[in-house]
Amino acid sequence: MASATDTALVSEDTTETEAVAAGAVGLAAVLFALSLASVFELVTITDPVAGVPMVALLGGLLVVLGFAVVTFGVGSRLGYVATDPRPTAGLLASGTFGLIWFVVGGLVASQTLGLGTAGWVVASLVTGGAAFAVSAAPREDIGSTLPAGALAVFAGVVFLTGVIGPSWVWDLGWEQQASFNAEFTIPVLTAFCSLLVGWAAAKAYGGFGARGRHIGAYVLVYLNAISIIALLFLLVAFTVLKGLPGLFKGLALGAGAGPEVTLVGVTFSLPVSWPFVMNGVALLNDVNGVLPAIVGTIWLVVGAVLFAVPLGIGAAVFITEYADRGRFTQVVEIATNGLWSTPSIVFGLFGLAFLVPRLGNRKSLLAGMLTLGFMLLPLVVITSRESMLAVPDEYRDASAALGVTKWQTVRSIVLPAALPGIVTGIILGVGRIAGETAPILLTMSGSVAPPGSQTVDVLGGFQLQSAPPFVTNPELMQATSALPYQLYSLITAGVGESSNISAIDEFRWATALILLVVVLGFYAVGIATRYYFRSKLQHD
Amino acid sequence: MSETRQTTDDAQATTDSELAGGASPGTDQPLEVTSGETRERTREEWVEHEFEGEAKLSVSDLDVYYGDDHALKSVSMEIPENSVTALIGPSGCGKSTFLRCLNRMNDRIKAASIDGSVRLEGEEIYQDGVNLVELRKRVGMVFQSPNPFPKSIADNISYGPRKHGDLDTGLLANLLGRSDDDAVDELVERSLRQAALWDEVNDRLDDNALGLSGGQQQRLCIARALATDPEVLLMDEPASALDPIATSKIEDLVHDLAEEYTVVIVTHNMQQAARISDQTAVFLTGGELVEYGDTDQVFEDPQSQRVEDYISGKFG
Repeated sequence: MASATDTALVSEDTTETEAVAAGAVGLAAVLFALSLASVFELVTITDPVAGVPMVALLGGLLVVLGFAVVTFGVGSRLGYVATDPRPTAGLLASGTFGLIWFVVGGLVASQTLGLGTAGWVVASLVTGGAAFAVSAAPREDIGSTLPAGALAVFAGVVFLTGVIGPSWVWDLGWEQQASFNAEFTIPVLTAFCSLLVGWAAAKAYGGFGARGRHIGAYVLVYLNAISIIALLFLLVAFTVLKGLPGLFKGLALGAGAGPEVTLVGVTFSLPVSWPFVMNGVALLNDVNGVLPAIVGTIWLVVGAVLFAVPLGIGAAVFITEYADRGRFTQVVEIATNGLWSTPSIVFGLFGLAFLVPRLGNRKSLLAGMLTLGFMLLPLVVITSRESMLAVPDEYRDASAALGVTKWQTVRSIVLPAALPGIVTGIILGVGRIAGETAPILLTMSGSVAPPGSQTVDVLGGFQLQSAPPFVTNPELMQATSALPYQLYSLITAGVGESSNISAIDEFRWATALILLVVVLGFYAVGIATRYYFRSKLQHD
Repeated sequence: MSETRQTTDDAQATTDSELAGGASPGTDQPLEVTSGETRERTREEWVEHEFEGEAKLSVSDLDVYYGDDHALKSVSMEIPENSVTALIGPSGCGKSTFLRCLNRMNDRIKAASIDGSVRLEGEEIYQDGVNLVELRKRVGMVFQSPNPFPKSIADNISYGPRKHGDLDTGLLANLLGRSDDDAVDELVERSLRQAALWDEVNDRLDDNALGLSGGQQQRLCIARALATDPEVLLMDEPASALDPIATSKIEDLVHDLAEEYTVVIVTHNMQQAARISDQTAVFLTGGELVEYGDTDQVFEDPQSQRVEDYISGKFG
């Protein structure tokens, strides 16, 4: 007869041991968050938190957690805690622990004890082998807690005793003078150990066995997901915080505050003056701005989309609906996939060598649009094809059975059903091309920071004439700036220092922020479009 | 005698006397035969069906191949006007293939090659110069699983006529004052009434058709097929994905439709075939038409032993 704890269908109230294990998992999560916070220097490791320096807090928590986990495992092995462990922790866990302890042993032997190559290899093999054996040989409750707990205690002791203290620096001794400092190393190690210990504690909470493994994996995946989201959030927040001061410099609200504009023959003053997005760069400006680059970026993307989307959808319709599936479509598919992975600088070179000489022999907005259009084309083909293939054949059959021709079926059934997918592809592609620097650099860049008067006015630039080509647009032929290119030049090439931009750092970050906003704006438009088309296909 | 049959391994070798007397299924199961099926020679007179009036569709010596697979073997039958013809038989016997030949839907399958003759009111549909649009307008089709377009109910109905150019509701037509909006409304109502769906959906014609239940969707598909004003309606197991209530609605509908249309319906459900059809064609394994005749005769007094076995549920 199995014991009641093994077979009970409905578990009783939370036991004390479960509560302790759950507490350990929670503590590991807190520790993970704390270490992430110090990685991003929200708290430095010498800052006191709750009365103790951060580094001591991290070390102390690691020791406590390590002991808790080991105690739990040993308690389970000796029968004080009712669990349901498997005979072994498994090859994956054992191998991972072996590898980790191999590295630990080697580093301690070579860096701390100063042994030679033979010494650290032996030490590595001994510690790694021991960890593997401890993990693989005994029952799961020992095997998955002991190596993890021991690692946490070890790391904690190293931090607490100051072997790796706040002023610790590991100079690799390379020519390039590479070194690791404690500010980064301690939090990263802590995060790593807390993940391991959290996993072990979660397994303990689940009573090991199948349920324990499930909960352990859940905790790992969950913490990872959270940290990735946090990373993305930090990335955006970082840019926003750095960019905001420059962005809103000189912002003024109120009637008549802004510059005069003429719309449909009526001239009036805008109720807002926002120098950074309304000015270019000029000597007399109080606050310099990036208007020409914003307008340039927007026109670039609009032009590329207008060029690539009809062509791409047309090609996709042909290879999906008309061409026989066979070698030809395979080749086209491979070629489009290859084109999409082609580095943008290659497209830029093509634009420079092929388009620029043929389009008035000068870098121009039009050349940039076409180059980015070529880049966008393969993705439009790929995603359009995918989403058309996903349209059920039943629709095509039903339409054919009604005596409707193929082209009308494609136009009225297949394309509408595929549109949300196509739009998704365009969104992804626009996100990429809007931030491209290299092709712009080669095909359309004029001065880095043009004055506001050089903002392209594509709509106003069309001119009629009596001789061919009848309609011309000098604005399209004008070299202009775009946000990514401007950003690149200001930061990397250091152009800003010699120009008349004051507070250049603020200007750079604000430019980066504006680029982010413009790209997100395109995303928003795309997502709204997709939502619109999708809602037409679905019932609510 | 059953002993003889068990040792026979050539269908053509089975003699008439065995066919007349043997009822026990063979235990020796040759290739291409559904488990439990006996072997016998099919006879010409089993597939001769006498009826009054004109033949709407006449099929002669129809062979269909999917690559190397001979899916239909020399099928000949005449389908009378304004009646319900049921095609029954086990899976893979070619009854759906036969149905799809009647409006040339098999043209859409690249591997299929078709040999033989199908005449719609005396006109050969397998010849050069056949207008597929016109053919499929006259021979409509309803599929096994309901497949309404992801559009509104009204748009589903008017889709065929609009795409044929019979009705114009586009922006340009509206601007020019030539819009057929009223005609469309009338068409939608007439088709939905014919398909016995009008009362259930008349207050939500602009809703997406995918919001309807399965049975309603299938009746919508029937209404959509009726909207192009066909003469023949082909139905490929139209009720197989539906619950009993929806099925009985479709059956009633098929019965009513037979007054105006020639209905050819494939079904797996033999009770259904017996209930709704005027004549029944039984296809058996290997793509052969084994027996064709008056439904009552086929179900009560089948001439073929294999058909009797199939109908009484001994195999298939």
